[in-house]
Amino acid sequence: MRIRRQTVVAAGTLLAAAVLGSSSMPAATSDVAATSDVAVSVAPEQLSVVGLPCLPSTLNLTMTNTGSQDRYADLTLEPTGPLQLSRTLFSSWLPAVDPDQPVSAPVEIRVPRETRPGSYQIGVEVDRSRVTVPVTVEPLPSKGPGDNLALGEQATASSTHGNFTLCGAVDGDKDPEHWDTLTGWNDGTRAVFPDTYDVALSAPATVNRVELYTLDSAKYPARLNGLRDWDIQAKVGGVWQTVTQVRGNTLGHVTSTFDPVQAEAVRILCLDGNDHTYSRIVELEVYGT
Amino acid sequence: MPTTRRNFLTVSGAAAALALSGSLPEIKTAAAGWTGRVDRRDPFTLGVASGDPLPDAVVIWTRLAPDPLAPFGGMDRRPVEVQWQVAEDEEFRRIVRSGTARTGPEASHSVHVDVRGLRPWRHYWYRFRVNGQLSPVGRTRTAPAYDAVVPELSLAFASCQAWWEGWYTAYADMAKRDHDVVFFLGDYIYEFGIDRGIRPHSNEPYITQQTVTLDEYRQRYAAYKLDPDLQSAHAKAPWIVTLDDHEVVDNWADEAHPSAPPAQFRVRRANAFRAYWEHMPLRLSSLPKGPDMQLYRRFRYGRLAEFSVLDTRQYRSDQAYGDGTKAPGPETKDPARTITGDAQEKWLLDGWAASQTRWNVLAHQTAIARLDTKDGPEVLVPMDTWDGYEASRNRILGGAVQRKVRNLVSIAGDLHRSVASDLKLDFNDPASATVGAEFVGTSITSGIDGQDLDAGGATLLRENPHMKFGNFQRGYVSCSITPQRWISDYRVVDKVSVQGGTVSTRAKLLVEDGRPGIAEVQK
Repeated sequence: MRIRRQTVVAAGTLLAAAVLGSSSMPAATSDVAATSDVAVSVAPEQLSVVGLPCLPSTLNLTMTNTGSQDRYADLTLEPTGPLQLSRTLFSSWLPAVDPDQPVSAPVEIRVPRETRPGSYQIGVEVDRSRVTVPVTVEPLPSKGPGDNLALGEQATASSTHGNFTLCGAVDGDKDPEHWDTLTGWNDGTRAVFPDTYDVALSAPATVNRVELYTLDSAKYPARLNGLRDWDIQAKVGGVWQTVTQVRGNTLGHVTSTFDPVQAEAVRILCLDGNDHTYSRIVELEVYGT
Repeated sequence: MPTTRRNFLTVSGAAAALALSGSLPEIKTAAAGWTGRVDRRDPFTLGVASGDPLPDAVVIWTRLAPDPLAPFGGMDRRPVEVQWQVAEDEEFRRIVRSGTARTGPEASHSVHVDVRGLRPWRHYWYRFRVNGQLSPVGRTRTAPAYDAVVPELSLAFASCQAWWEGWYTAYADMAKRDHDVVFFLGDYIYEFGIDRGIRPHSNEPYITQQTVTLDEYRQRYAAYKLDPDLQSAHAKAPWIVTLDDHEVVDNWADEAHPSAPPAQFRVRRANAFRAYWEHMPLRLSSLPKGPDMQLYRRFRYGRLAEFSVLDTRQYRSDQAYGDGTKAPGPETKDPARTITGDAQEKWLLDGWAASQTRWNVLAHQTAIARLDTKDGPEVLVPMDTWDGYEASRNRILGGAVQRKVRNLVSIAGDLHRSVASDLKLDFNDPASATVGAEFVGTSITSGIDGQDLDAGGATLLRENPHMKFGNFQRGYVSCSITPQRWISDYRVVDKVSVQGGTVSTRAKLLVEDGRPGIAEVQK
């Protein structure tokens, strides 16, 4: 099952959501400027989030100086209930330029796995002007037979390159053309192997199939930039054991089947890439019987 | 009059009111914005510092941050008044200056007091007080009088302190020694994210994520400045700081960086500069205006030495040949390209023309000397150092010769290795005139432990006859300067990957008055 995921809105395609107009806000106090020359927008306007550790939802925050003076501004975030935010403050210099220059930053929202579905919100405030973002906590996706058991589960890696995110290979996005938008994992040690990428299953499960999507875009074909050699390992009783191996791969998508094993976690032990520099995984899926 | 803390209550009306309410936690006062609740958390978690000494003035610094990694450092968003004192003695019996400074969230609750009316070339002690809590005591020293004969000056210089790559043992050693001034030559923080490190908490988000926004840069400075050895080095002597690339982003050049188009990059630069100023003991004259900051400036230590502190990031041409390590060529030689910018170049050369000091020092980011990194006849040099800006280098070194600059010495960092070189008028010709000496200091921690001489260092020594010494360990440089000679003492740490490493002198290098270049290397 694919679950809906909020994606970062790229700069330049800002949604004109919840813009705080200077005329719409009444004066708060007599000695503080009642109106703000900072327009705030959030994208998307509302969010859904699930209690999976490696599948945060992302809210893109944008401040735009609509005044005539360069200035610094502080945007504060106030979540309700179980919402966990990667930041509660976004401060920036905002140039007063024509045309207006929006300045954006992301915030990741997570909830604990056991969070009950429900409605919450995030208050977003600049200069005492406030906008509210509704957040819906969705039920956990099914993780039964036929479901991808790795989706959104906690990943760990031997290293992660600074331009990539650890969770990128379990985020449900297996499109290699999205490689540049942080939807894949790339290790951080150039030309040093092996590298490891692990996913801890939410509970031990019988698994017998791994679908691995390595980098295979029009610009970066797998035969030149994809993962070449790897072992698939299962963690059983706290011990890693190799369940199958892939060698000399040149394809973007590789299905590996193996004898069913009761695994606590699954590891890709990356032994080489086709350019012998980095290990690159766009998406890792794990299935059982 | 023998007084101690009590004198704090009498410095001024406003300060007295604040101190009084602070001493009576249960009583609400009528003071605007003062609730009467007393915050008992220590606000001085990031220590104190001083900097930019003049004969009659020095900047003293602190930042209020009871919860330093939290938004606004754990402070609320109201303005705060902070009392400060400067005394002639460590016990604060002879207080010579005191006052109240106002700060708030717009400055990260940092305090920069430009203390004036001090006497030249003497030590002072300073401290701050807020809500009844006293800061640690810092020691500082003013510069000598403009025309003073100065028998000896001791200084240290350092750079590149990647927090996650090791312990600041070098700073513990620096703080034990008696320096009149410390120069920090760039890479005080690192902006990029990492995923593992030597120190505990290296995998916390405040270290693992890159810094782009102002709150993120502020948090990164707080994470670094929590280190007690760094704090002790700041508290022991005034610092004169400049920045290099990682205070903003790796190898930025003016408004150019591959991470963002110029308009967007200017916002990041403005955020980085603002956080930098807030956390450094800099004057208001260096306060950034958005993405612009006046950082190049000059310090004179009597008739002994003049220091031209450079900013070779903000005005430089973009790196030649797409950066990296490349062969010199038409781009590196292009006279239209510059590492200083035209205005700073003119400021430097005009300053030299007027200089009357025995030593003339460039305190700046990266090596001027050629660094051929390739064994054999092929020449490959870094495009980010002055090697990538040969015309600029020729104008500065040639300009120094034309102006008969006495005893030119360059101190720099950036390379994560110790490199001491003669500065040649023409690095293509080993027989050309030596016009000065250059001491590049290694990193405080960046690169982890290193070793005495790595393969890269051996190549540098083979390929660059002007290079007299190299070492690939971590550390800093401690210098003693008299009218007759300059001694650079390369202090190296055996291991920064563990706490309590051993610091020792790896080499002492001598420059003699009137004889350009390095006269002697004692290993």
